[in-house]
Amino acid sequence: MPQNLTIVVMACRQAVPDPALLLGALQTSGLSPRVIPEPCSSKVEVFQMLRTLADEADLLWVVGCPEGACQMVEGTFRMAKRVGHAREYLQEIGLEPERLGIAQFFADNQEAVAALISEIKERAKTLGANPARAQAPPAKEQP
Amino acid sequence: MIIGTRKPLAEIQDMVKKYDRLLVVGCDTCVAECASGGRREVAELAAALDMAFRLAGREKKIQEASVDRQCVHEFLLDVVEAAQDQDAVLSLACGAGVQALATRLPETPVFPGLNTQFIGETAQRGLWLENCRGCGNCLLGLTGGICPVTRCAKSLLNGPCGGARAGLCEITFAKGIDREVPCAWLQIYDRLLSLGEVDRLLEITPPKDWSTGGGAGPRQVVRPDQQA
Repeated sequence: MPQNLTIVVMACRQAVPDPALLLGALQTSGLSPRVIPEPCSSKVEVFQMLRTLADEADLLWVVGCPEGACQMVEGTFRMAKRVGHAREYLQEIGLEPERLGIAQFFADNQEAVAALISEIKERAKTLGANPARAQAPPAKEQP
Repeated sequence: MIIGTRKPLAEIQDMVKKYDRLLVVGCDTCVAECASGGRREVAELAAALDMAFRLAGREKKIQEASVDRQCVHEFLLDVVEAAQDQDAVLSLACGAGVQALATRLPETPVFPGLNTQFIGETAQRGLWLENCRGCGNCLLGLTGGICPVTRCAKSLLNGPCGGARAGLCEITFAKGIDREVPCAWLQIYDRLLSLGEVDRLLEITPPKDWSTGGGAGPRQVVRPDQQA
């Protein structure tokens, strides 16, 4: 596992009510995670995803509720479309679209959270450091 | 409004590759509505270029700006100032906005980030339709509010042509057309029928004077009452 890879997770508060659990699990795996709580995953815009990958993150995940369970009704649906658009952009840039992940689960689904952590670890191992990221990313504190 | 679509990133990258300091400028009216050139899209493109150039082994200093309307000179004053210490400007406005900005920046190269497509209508979220060619002599009053110049593939003024099948223009069945194109003249007929004015179709429209539509060179509108 490459050490000190920066993992940013933009997570809906409904899906991830306790970011510390996710944060702890990723830190234990030797990664440098930052979890940004969002009122809804659909608040994450394409430019925010691209900026985050350009400035700070080796891998970025957007986490929302399952479709049909979104408090904003179609927030999860919109988020999936935006992630798709951002991945197309990454392809044009020449960066692996797999650096941008997506997950959808209910807050109490511990199995899904474990699967997410395992997927992030696997992806970090396969892809390594983001070559398109700024060399000295600005230090950002965990909110 | 004016509809535009972003040029491929590789084309944009190639245009600006020799400049180290770049200002990306958006326009927050038409091209923001069609999600191609507003401040969000400026931020997307700036981040994308940042990454693409880094992957190519070149670091660029890319700044962002956006104005209400790039085609109106009064809105460009701040951008002109911001562009003074830039090597080049990449505009995400329509062609009119790009040219207005270039006029204001005689010593700075200005490049288009979009391909300007057409005057269109937002038919639904994420779908824009070409509905006006700006022909300079509007016929919509005769055709039930449906433009044959734009929406008929042959721009017929007295239609339909006879090539339509199942309500669709014959170009729908041509090789390479991946969408259904309704026959504009059948739409005009249906519309006039519902208005009880189908007898309008008995009037023969004479050949159109295309000099109002760009046939006599670039057009201009002068309104002395609006001038300073």
